[in-house]
Amino acid sequence: MATSMMTSGFPNTEMFSDEFSRPDWLKSEVETGTTIMAVQFDGGVVIGADSRTTTGAYIANRVTDKLTKVTDRIYCCRSGSAADTQAIADIVNYHLNFFEMDTGEEPKVKIAANIFRDLCYNYRDSLMAGIIVAGWDKTEGGQVFTVPLGGMLTRMPFATGGSGSTYIYGYVDSNFKEGMKKEECLKFVANGLSLAMSRDGSSGGVVRLACITKDGVERFVLTGKRNTAIL
Amino acid sequence: MEYNGAAIIAMTGKNCVAIAADRRYGVQAQTVATDFQKIFEMGPRLFVGLPGLATDVQTVSQRLKFRLNLYELRENRRIKPKTFMSMVSNLLYERRFGPYFVEPVIAGIDPKTSQPYIASMDLIGCPMVTEDFVVSGTCSEQMYGMCESLWEPDLEPDDLFETISQALMNAVDRDAVSGWGGIVYVIEKDKVTIRELKARMD
Repeated sequence: MATSMMTSGFPNTEMFSDEFSRPDWLKSEVETGTTIMAVQFDGGVVIGADSRTTTGAYIANRVTDKLTKVTDRIYCCRSGSAADTQAIADIVNYHLNFFEMDTGEEPKVKIAANIFRDLCYNYRDSLMAGIIVAGWDKTEGGQVFTVPLGGMLTRMPFATGGSGSTYIYGYVDSNFKEGMKKEECLKFVANGLSLAMSRDGSSGGVVRLACITKDGVERFVLTGKRNTAIL
Repeated sequence: MEYNGAAIIAMTGKNCVAIAADRRYGVQAQTVATDFQKIFEMGPRLFVGLPGLATDVQTVSQRLKFRLNLYELRENRRIKPKTFMSMVSNLLYERRFGPYFVEPVIAGIDPKTSQPYIASMDLIGCPMVTEDFVVSGTCSEQMYGMCESLWEPDLEPDDLFETISQALMNAVDRDAVSGWGGIVYVIEKDKVTIRELKARMD
């Protein structure tokens, strides 16, 4: 049977059976091993993720987009099972579309985060999803909410997640400052992700960043070659 | 076999052979070092690449060198690559029911005839000698695909270097537990050139 351990993103399906003769992509569930981050600043949020999806040790997609839109100004960062997080994001997007039609205005980030939490908590035994919800709305400005594995919901000034996040607790705790500007946030997230990607086997590829403000969403891709640095 | 992760390729060219390996030392998903040696010199023109469990990589290379030293003292000459292959096979089969978790790759040039020689083996010593290329490691399927498409016969040393480097680098980019640098040995009759590859460190 496939599904693996928690945030390690490393399945263990082949002890003492003839499973070891089958390739990874027939045995293991598709995981977004991952490193994800989100930081709030005055005026919006900066979110980031790596781009690696694995089936066992095989890299199934090396240019994945883990920053998924749920509304024009609310995005989520996905980690854990690729199927579970895609399905959850689709359902949340569906609910928020209805909500927008009912109320006539853009949904609040808190509402989106609560819908994520309801799904992740009530189906906690069937899902493996660690999600960071971040966005901008006109009442509270930029907000970051984290919805880790059991379905807890909490708002934080910045959040990290995924198997790679364990390698950068020291980095984020020593480098985070309150009141950072947009450019500082972009550097903070890009550096954190690069460091995690160079240690975690389940994270890698390119760094995808997005900056969400009242003016919309600005996306960046950092490939690691010097000439694509925006910072 | 996926506990530490590794990738090794050996290829033949015109009067030369090349052997290349990644440089990662990791424990499952975590990368611990990026300068781990997986290719060992067993003679001036004879190298062995050892992918697999890192502790066995080190133990097998050390025990092999021990046996090789005794051989050279007794015979008073350098060992031929195909004899060395039999020596490795014997060492592994001695542990048939509790094996070393390594699947070696041998690359060398015969000291008398200067013929290029490559071979690979499974963890209990079954040898496979080929004319073109051999691969071993956690991304062997990816490496087979790259080698099958890029290799052609009678490549000159510099072209062989490019070919083996591209095969290795693109294969490990599709494997979560190998990569983090690369090293290539190009072995010719009169010299050995060692080059490090600037590769993705993720």
